[in-house]
Amino acid sequence: MASFTDEDRTALTDAFRRLLNDRAGEADVRRVMETPEGYDRDLWRQIAEMGVVGLVVSEDHGGGGGGPVELERIMEEAGAVLLCGPLLSSGVLAASLIQALGNEDAKARLLPGIADGSLIATAALTGDAGEWTPEAIEVSATEDGALTGVASYITHGQNADILLVAAHMADGIGVFEVAADAPGMTITALPAFDHTLRIARIEFAGTPAKALRSDGPCWDAIEAALDMTRIALAGEQAGGARRVLEMTVDYAKARVQFGRSIGSFQAIKHMAADLLLESESATSAARHAARALADGADDVRSSVALAAFACADAFTTVTATSVQMHGGIAFTWAHPAHLYLKRARSDAQLFGTPSFYRERYLQAFGA
Amino acid sequence: MTISDEALHKEVTAWLAANWKPTFRGRAAAGSAGGASPEWLTMVVEARWAVPRWSEQWYGRGLDDHQARIVERAFAAVGAPGSGQDRSNLWANTALAYASPSFKAKIVPALLKGEVGMCLLYSEPGAGSDLAGVRTRVERVDDHYVVNGQKVWTSSAAEADYGMLLARTDWDVPKHKGLSFFFLPMKQPGVEVRPLRQITNESHFNEVFLTDAIASAENLLGPLGGGWGVLQTALAYERSVMGEAARGPRSGAKETGGETNLIDLAREAGRLNDPLIREDIARVTALKMLNRMNTARAKADLAQGTSSPIMSLGKLAMSRILHEEARVRTAILGAGSLLEGPDHPRAEDANFLTLNAYFTSIGGGTDQIQRNIIGERVLGLPKEPEVDRDVPFRQVRGG
Repeated sequence: MASFTDEDRTALTDAFRRLLNDRAGEADVRRVMETPEGYDRDLWRQIAEMGVVGLVVSEDHGGGGGGPVELERIMEEAGAVLLCGPLLSSGVLAASLIQALGNEDAKARLLPGIADGSLIATAALTGDAGEWTPEAIEVSATEDGALTGVASYITHGQNADILLVAAHMADGIGVFEVAADAPGMTITALPAFDHTLRIARIEFAGTPAKALRSDGPCWDAIEAALDMTRIALAGEQAGGARRVLEMTVDYAKARVQFGRSIGSFQAIKHMAADLLLESESATSAARHAARALADGADDVRSSVALAAFACADAFTTVTATSVQMHGGIAFTWAHPAHLYLKRARSDAQLFGTPSFYRERYLQAFGA
Repeated sequence: MTISDEALHKEVTAWLAANWKPTFRGRAAAGSAGGASPEWLTMVVEARWAVPRWSEQWYGRGLDDHQARIVERAFAAVGAPGSGQDRSNLWANTALAYASPSFKAKIVPALLKGEVGMCLLYSEPGAGSDLAGVRTRVERVDDHYVVNGQKVWTSSAAEADYGMLLARTDWDVPKHKGLSFFFLPMKQPGVEVRPLRQITNESHFNEVFLTDAIASAENLLGPLGGGWGVLQTALAYERSVMGEAARGPRSGAKETGGETNLIDLAREAGRLNDPLIREDIARVTALKMLNRMNTARAKADLAQGTSSPIMSLGKLAMSRILHEEARVRTAILGAGSLLEGPDHPRAEDANFLTLNAYFTSIGGGTDQIQRNIIGERVLGLPKEPEVDRDVPFRQVRGG
């Protein structure tokens, strides 16, 4: 793994932020979220050229060789602007899963394309139950690698060229590679509550697939990829929460009622102070978990679980409270508050609920 | 005079090796550098380790913060108290900044050596959150001052030799401008101390009744009418001392893990399989962990030279943690929390914490005042209009 210095991280994050400020403002988000594919291909290419899409892909496969610490920082910026696109699905989840599986052929074939943005991949890890556990997988694989069953809540499943599908095998969970145009497969784009997100459901009926690990069960590799994804999502949530709080505080200064800025009323001021604690705690949790995962620290399991639910809850609380603090203006479609609220509510369900991670957090302490 | 880090470290460790004995731990006067005998503190002051950042004229060495921390760490390494008082001794720092030359020469060394006991005479029954509204009256009579009024929430008042007093000397100017700051001698007939019984059944605080109490001219700190400015300096040192002073359960159970405490409690009570209890424990444990992470991040930011908004959040976070932990402890115990006394230590813990959580959420500025401070100073939101700000205090409504 390449070693990023603080200066490297700051330079990459600053460049990414400048690009997003230029190309991914609110108007851009509103424009692309109404398109069928849901992201700006030209911006996607620029993000890839900058090294962000392939950030955690190893250097010998055309990536940046980065780890969770730099990924988390990048995702704070992406979350702040509600970046639309398969960064999390392809660059983080799929890339990490391929690397964790350790299949050299798959790495050589798939990672360079993922890193340069030309190949979109995602992972199908759960069924209609929508729980990211081995028990919730509803796809089975035959001896010769034909898939049958249902996978759902697949982020950017309708955008993907390649799908990594978790399926029951005779001896446990396997991961299978399927091309989007494979026969015996129906991909349905699901109507997502968060219009900046793309979610799909797939029915498999004897779909031919390639096993990515032949020597046994792979749930451990899926967990490793999910850890990286949870860190990225936590960064997105922390960055989103901070931006929404800034936006809300600016409005509370500017909006005048009863001859005063509404931010001078303690009813509003106290809500803002509480939200600052929420958003700063989310940032601390996301960054701590990233560092713990990078270092392989003793507390990595509890830290990642804590970041998963603390950042999800913080982003939800901040965005929901922000609507109330704005008042009527935020009840309109034209105001961006609802875009953040919807993203926060979606993020809080992806890859496991806050309650799921609270239980996992408690178990990390032996309870 | 400059000294290298290595030479300084060598000098202080050699001095400690030659002089420090654990038997020096003992009681100094109230409010002084924690848990040391005046004999030891005198040695530390005379060897110029007590206030290494201060000038040589005032028992110091003129060291910068980096080198002063080398000295503090060497003291901490052997468990010796008394160094770093240039950061932590709010009494001595306030006196050094504002006392008259003659009084300063007497009081500063006595404070550093722990020979003088101190207390705070700030809050009043009618001036809690609104401290600038104090109504204790000070009048000049001949060559001295006469003090009349009532103070409250005063720790160590019975043992103190001096109280740092905020009082009103001018009623015809707006409230912040008519205040003055004194070192009031406590051992005199005009000062009556009555212990307050708290909701926890403890008595850490007192009421102090001032009836024609006398302060000499040299007991005035800063200019007449300049008390609010002196107070700001004193409060800044007080906040840095208070830090993480919140107390846990009454039984004194170690709070190092915290989380295992609640988990063990629930297991012992047979409630660890209750999903609502599990969720509660996870939430409280997480709040504690997040507060630690926030503090660590704030310190890292400070080390890099950027000030952090997180520091101001710690007290608010701690209030929530303590109230939440109390609630969860009570939920785990259920009817067990009906009881009290030494035969029921779990109930004692839960009930004490329930009550004592208010020490943090009210004391040192209520959560509501803390939210105002965060909203105004950190987030930059405008202040509420203050109806009494530019009005002569005589016309301000009290109650």
